[in-house]
Amino acid sequence: MNTEVSLNKLYKQRFRKFYSEYTYLFSFMVLVVVAVIVNDKFLTYSNLSTLMLQATIKGIIALGMTLIIISGQIDLSVGSMAALVAGLGVAVLNNTQSILVMLLFCLAFGTILGFVNGLLVTKGKIAAFIVTLATMSAYRSIIVQLGQGGPFNVSAELNDRFRMIAAGNIFGIPNLAIVFVIAMAIMTFVMSKTKFGRYVYAVGSNENAARLTGINIDRIKILCFSITGFLTGISAFLLSSRLTSITAPNAGISFELDAIAAVAIGGTAMNGGRGKVVGTFLGAIMLQMIEGILIAAKIPPFLTGLVKGIIIILAVLFQSKKNK
Amino acid sequence: MFLDMRNITKTFDALKALDNVSLQVCESEIHGLLGENGAGKSTLMNILAGAFPPTFGEIYLNGKKQENMTTHKANELGIRFIHQELNLVNDLKVYENLFLGEELTGAFGLLNKKQMIKKSAEVFKRMNIDIDPQEKVENLDTSRKQLVEIAKALLFESKLIIMDEPTTALTNKEIENLFVIMRSLKAEGVSIIYISHKMPELFQICDRYTVLRDGKLIESGNFSDIDEKKAAELLVGRSIIEDNKQDQGLVGEVILKVESLSCGAAFTNINFQLRKGEVLAITGLHGDGRGELAEALFGARPVSEGHISVNNKPLSLNSIDKVMKAGIGMVPRNRKERSIIKDMSIMDNMSMAHFIRNKTLLIKKYEAVERYNRNKKAIAIKAGSPDDNITSLSGGNQQKVIIARWLEIDSDIYILDNPTQGIDVGAKFEIYRIIYDLAKKGKSIIVFSAEFPEIYKVADRCLVMYKGQINAELTRDEITEVNVMYYATGSNMEGIR
Repeated sequence: MNTEVSLNKLYKQRFRKFYSEYTYLFSFMVLVVVAVIVNDKFLTYSNLSTLMLQATIKGIIALGMTLIIISGQIDLSVGSMAALVAGLGVAVLNNTQSILVMLLFCLAFGTILGFVNGLLVTKGKIAAFIVTLATMSAYRSIIVQLGQGGPFNVSAELNDRFRMIAAGNIFGIPNLAIVFVIAMAIMTFVMSKTKFGRYVYAVGSNENAARLTGINIDRIKILCFSITGFLTGISAFLLSSRLTSITAPNAGISFELDAIAAVAIGGTAMNGGRGKVVGTFLGAIMLQMIEGILIAAKIPPFLTGLVKGIIIILAVLFQSKKNK
Repeated sequence: MFLDMRNITKTFDALKALDNVSLQVCESEIHGLLGENGAGKSTLMNILAGAFPPTFGEIYLNGKKQENMTTHKANELGIRFIHQELNLVNDLKVYENLFLGEELTGAFGLLNKKQMIKKSAEVFKRMNIDIDPQEKVENLDTSRKQLVEIAKALLFESKLIIMDEPTTALTNKEIENLFVIMRSLKAEGVSIIYISHKMPELFQICDRYTVLRDGKLIESGNFSDIDEKKAAELLVGRSIIEDNKQDQGLVGEVILKVESLSCGAAFTNINFQLRKGEVLAITGLHGDGRGELAEALFGARPVSEGHISVNNKPLSLNSIDKVMKAGIGMVPRNRKERSIIKDMSIMDNMSMAHFIRNKTLLIKKYEAVERYNRNKKAIAIKAGSPDDNITSLSGGNQQKVIIARWLEIDSDIYILDNPTQGIDVGAKFEIYRIIYDLAKKGKSIIVFSAEFPEIYKVADRCLVMYKGQINAELTRDEITEVNVMYYATGSNMEGIR
């Protein structure tokens, strides 16, 4: 009798530990059930591939945002950054007629913009919140000025070939989904198997201790911002391919909100030190599913922002409860 | 009986923090609460102060059963808790901190600044210290912050004051002052629960004691019936084997040379040498620049002048990484703020410095596990699984993990800054043994410490600092408490002016 009780307790304990570590998996499963109930076509191939398609562009940015938040920072500039990189990327494409050159430009330029953020945060000793708020405004302003308010259109002769990058698929799996999964796998590897990953966690958990162990915390932070810039570059490239026309004032708008939301839903601690890239991956998909559910439930599209806001608050609330 | 806590049990998830513990305190009694870290003292006091409810058990005040305690209610009942960690808001002024949450108001609910400042000044006068109530808290040094924390409890009429290690940052004179206040409070009928690791203080000020160990009540009694040795045994639950420093007589060649090192106002013109296999203690009182010097030696604080050489090669002090490469490791003071990476496993915490020194990209998990097992055995770390969080360990074991972190990079010189801060007697002795072993292996060690018994136990030589300068160098034979205090207080400087 006695042993049975304690065994029961042990299982409960194990479950609780598992649950607190993988909360995002549980919320993901709950959401899938809800989605299936609301939308009977949810589990069809076309629906799932659209879902991945939509989740990818913001999701890739969110992967980088995970690193930044784990290291105890924040990046509000990613939306404007995506617009700036995408707009100029299209211009580069039109001038060089080379998709490869455009891709390289997007990766390099994104990395540089992220690097600038990191440099200002570490060497300028300004809070990340302020730095990226400023660059959010600055990056957007540059691209709006360059486009004179109008769109950057991919020239007609390249249009079809370029469009297929985001629209195409391999063995029926959308290209975008493949890119997203590969990016997630690489970032997961970086965060769990490399020393750099450990340093990111250490800096976010206790910056002082990290410094006194010999970790170059400035370098780690700059790397986090640069990696996010690089991923935003990928995202901007894919965004241009998907839209083939970048309207400077609108492109990438509120990407930072969605990226941070995905990180929060994915279970990363908002004050740093804890979190998983896989969580963010599922978080980005969940965010897209919620949008789908709202549409299927005929909730006016203007209210998605409200729902997202509530979800971010709830996700963070659950987290802080958990850590008590 | 003023306070009667009966059969208190508290569980956190599955962990039993307190198991059927009872505590009685009479009116006008100073009660010493003893126990190693993790024994359950803080949990018991938090329950008393209403921070969280007990799982089982009852609390009686003046024979009246208290239920649904909250911190607010505890305050109203006259229970004041002086926390070990400073709970002050740095950006506010002293008097604003004192009245935080209990501001005095006048007409229209506006703050009555004048009255608050006046009352604050009165309390400081009573405590015989000169702190300006209008000073910003961030401008105070640690010992003064601690005094403000204590003043907070004296400001209001209280019946029971809980003091959780109130003297860790205080100088001897300030401690004497505190004891005077405690005695006068006692005469007014106030009861005090006094938590401390310092035996002489406990025996000096307390009437009765209660010892906790592993969440259980071990014994209550009168201090007059026991001696320090007995108390220490009750604390650790076994007889303590005291190793004493063995004079080795054979220290090797000079490995570290520090020449005219200065750092702004913190310390000036520091010169000393360190030999192979030598344990050098650097001591002093609060505000002597010791902490800053420790940081500077490790490249963690920019210096304004002077140079250091290791093995006759000049050492650049602008990067911790380079200092580590030159063969220096440091266990910083204040474990919680400066050493522990709280969201990480024991194993990762232990591997951190090793990661830095060995420039490979990937983590080799099997190596990390080996490292964990090796150190666990070598320095007797009590821990469950290597994947457990570091915060699941007791203070002493956490500190051992941090020491292991640095042992792993096999430095030639170890800087230990207050290595036994806030850890229990048993773990302290084990850390001293680690120091002996390192010295025997030919490593050189600098121990920064303000605890005389500690210095006496480990040091071959001792530098005494006073106001940012080295005031005296004591050889092994000259290390006595009187000598150390004489130079630490700058008594030899009197009359020079």
